[in-house]
Amino acid sequence: MDATFHPRRRQAQRLFSPASSILRFMRRTLVLALFATVASVHAHPEIDEALARLNPLIAAEPANAALYLERGELYARHEDGVGAEANYLRAAELNPDFPGLARARGALALASGHAADALPHLDRAIAANAADAEALLLRGRARGALRQNAAALADFNAALHHLASPTPEFFLARAAVCANAADAVASLDEGIARLGSVVTLELRALALEEQLGRVDAAVARLDRLAAQSERRETWLKRRGDVLARAGRAGAARAAYTAAVAAIAELPRWLQQSPDTTRLLAELRRLTASNS
Amino acid sequence: MKLRSLLLGLALGALPMLHAATTIVRGPYLQSATPNSMVIRWRTDATEGSVVTYGLARNELTSSEKAQGVTTEHIVQLSNLKPATKYFYAVSGAPLAAPDGKKAVAEDAPGRAPINSFTTPPAVGPAKPTRVWVLGDPGTKNDIQRAVRDQYLKFTGSRATDLAILLGDNAYPDGTDADYQKAIFEMYPETLRSVPFWSCLGNHDGKSANSITQSGVYYDIFTFPTRGQAGGVASGTEAYFSFDYANIHFISLDSHDSDRTLEGPMAQWLKADLAATRRDWIVAFFHHPTYTHGTHNSDREKQLIEMRQVFLPILEAGGVDVVATGHSHVYERSFFVDGHYGSSETFDAARFVKQKGNGRTDGDGAYRKPRTRAPHAGEVSVVTGSAGHASAKPVTLDHPVFVAAFNEPGSSVLDIDGLKLEFTFINDKGEKRDWFSIVKVEGSAASASSP
Repeated sequence: MDATFHPRRRQAQRLFSPASSILRFMRRTLVLALFATVASVHAHPEIDEALARLNPLIAAEPANAALYLERGELYARHEDGVGAEANYLRAAELNPDFPGLARARGALALASGHAADALPHLDRAIAANAADAEALLLRGRARGALRQNAAALADFNAALHHLASPTPEFFLARAAVCANAADAVASLDEGIARLGSVVTLELRALALEEQLGRVDAAVARLDRLAAQSERRETWLKRRGDVLARAGRAGAARAAYTAAVAAIAELPRWLQQSPDTTRLLAELRRLTASNS
Repeated sequence: MKLRSLLLGLALGALPMLHAATTIVRGPYLQSATPNSMVIRWRTDATEGSVVTYGLARNELTSSEKAQGVTTEHIVQLSNLKPATKYFYAVSGAPLAAPDGKKAVAEDAPGRAPINSFTTPPAVGPAKPTRVWVLGDPGTKNDIQRAVRDQYLKFTGSRATDLAILLGDNAYPDGTDADYQKAIFEMYPETLRSVPFWSCLGNHDGKSANSITQSGVYYDIFTFPTRGQAGGVASGTEAYFSFDYANIHFISLDSHDSDRTLEGPMAQWLKADLAATRRDWIVAFFHHPTYTHGTHNSDREKQLIEMRQVFLPILEAGGVDVVATGHSHVYERSFFVDGHYGSSETFDAARFVKQKGNGRTDGDGAYRKPRTRAPHAGEVSVVTGSAGHASAKPVTLDHPVFVAAFNEPGSSVLDIDGLKLEFTFINDKGEKRDWFSIVKVEGSAASASSP
């Protein structure tokens, strides 16, 4: 709801993979790189359009760090790590404390697979603004990539305090750095409590519950997913699979039978779909094998 | 007690003055429409309360709903509405009903807010003739965008638009609040008051928004269902979601800023969502096209390649009928295809075209598809990214997957009536430049070629 939201907050987070040696080379050859990024030809038309707007501004104000940051973000958005880094370095040379710059550099390093290189930039961004949720998220990811799980978890927890709308992706990333499966389930359940019974969170938690031998809890998750779905048959089939794996043949058979009944309730045209007829055949086989 | 009454009286007495002093600077506009609910949003130039007064007749706005607190960004959800029903409404900072609560609010009552109307979506499931306005990359704020708008309005005439879909890059250049004000709110004000708009995130919107933190202008402006409130499976995020309208299932994906890997949450959610729907039609939309040789090239650009290689197979396996995208500022429309996930050089019509012809009932005949949700039964991919402008430079438009392609400004119209779908591209001169139909056929009557 913040009408003054600044466009430069948007970070480069897409994956691309320029070799680290190229990035190091770029640091040593800043001037050449800057020239190259200005002159290069790109597959993305909007880069050309944006450059046509930005380049004259930079020519007019060559000491304006904001413009280099903007141009760096432009390249980062289009996965040109070399161009992005060159512009960020120039911005840093002009004003190392320019707002958003450290975070952008950290995001770029992380996106290029250099988590360790990302950390000092993200430390700097968080030192400048401890409530920078995006920087905290990025540092959590960087630390997670470096297997510094406890520190990553602390970052994710700190970020959560400042995120108005955390995403499923956030809770999945946090669960991945939890100390053990039980903590990860608890972390995912916090996400489910905030976001609702989101399928991606439930399925990750379901796998962990099974790993922990919590069959009833796993089944309860499937029941929640089935309850919110117009087509229950696949969830009921999974329910049967979980129960069968746990050695509860009778309960598994009941779940498979319920799945068959759910298919029977579908409109005829959906019952006739190849996926459904295939599932039905499999359910009949599973029902028989669990007798 | 007397003091409290006095203060209360003063406060109530001040409300009309506050109301009179406040101007609506954005909207009202409709979001997250369901058969039983509607989100109404608007912005005022000063903080005040958020009240929607509504009813079944223009001169009988007998119900009201309000949000807590005072704000300039007003979001009120109306609930317990009747499906497929026309409602009249007015927004204000304080209740509009007369003090005795008995009199209806008359349209011409002095000092009253303007009265608008909307029609709730029909009950989910049964077919209902549905018109969808599809706008790709509209946000140029210029005369071309205006002409495209006007030609659509002329085309649709008295036929109501049931919903509108924005394919991203809704507001150039940076998707800022000011960009949105000019490109969307001042461009389509009347439509926004009566037609729910849905959207997906474009790269220019992404300059001022962040899907990872669900923050920024795009996420501030739109209200989309995250818990499956409008149909479909809960995604937990406004970056990608689905909703139902009558017998149609719509899917909005984030091709710009969310994880596009097969193992990522968006792909996982999409599979579950497709498996759960019982609607006759599945229409998916996102910004970056799976195929294009327009102002972008789907052979070379990462987002486009990933949407084609990761998401198109999921969609086609799930029975998608139409994939609508933008980004490339042209119009390109495919044959009835399936299974082509490589670059344009690898396109083999004999292998990937499920039905030959242009899909026109007045041409080679409509595409026919079994009603049973058969995986990989064929879909039509449409790039319609010229609602704001076409390419100023020559473009090749030579991707072999396409049967029709134009470098012209325009917008598209999706009409679905029962088991028949019609898609039309209207340019900025009002010319019907392309059209095709898909017919769902009961049983196994769909043929492998056009009739």
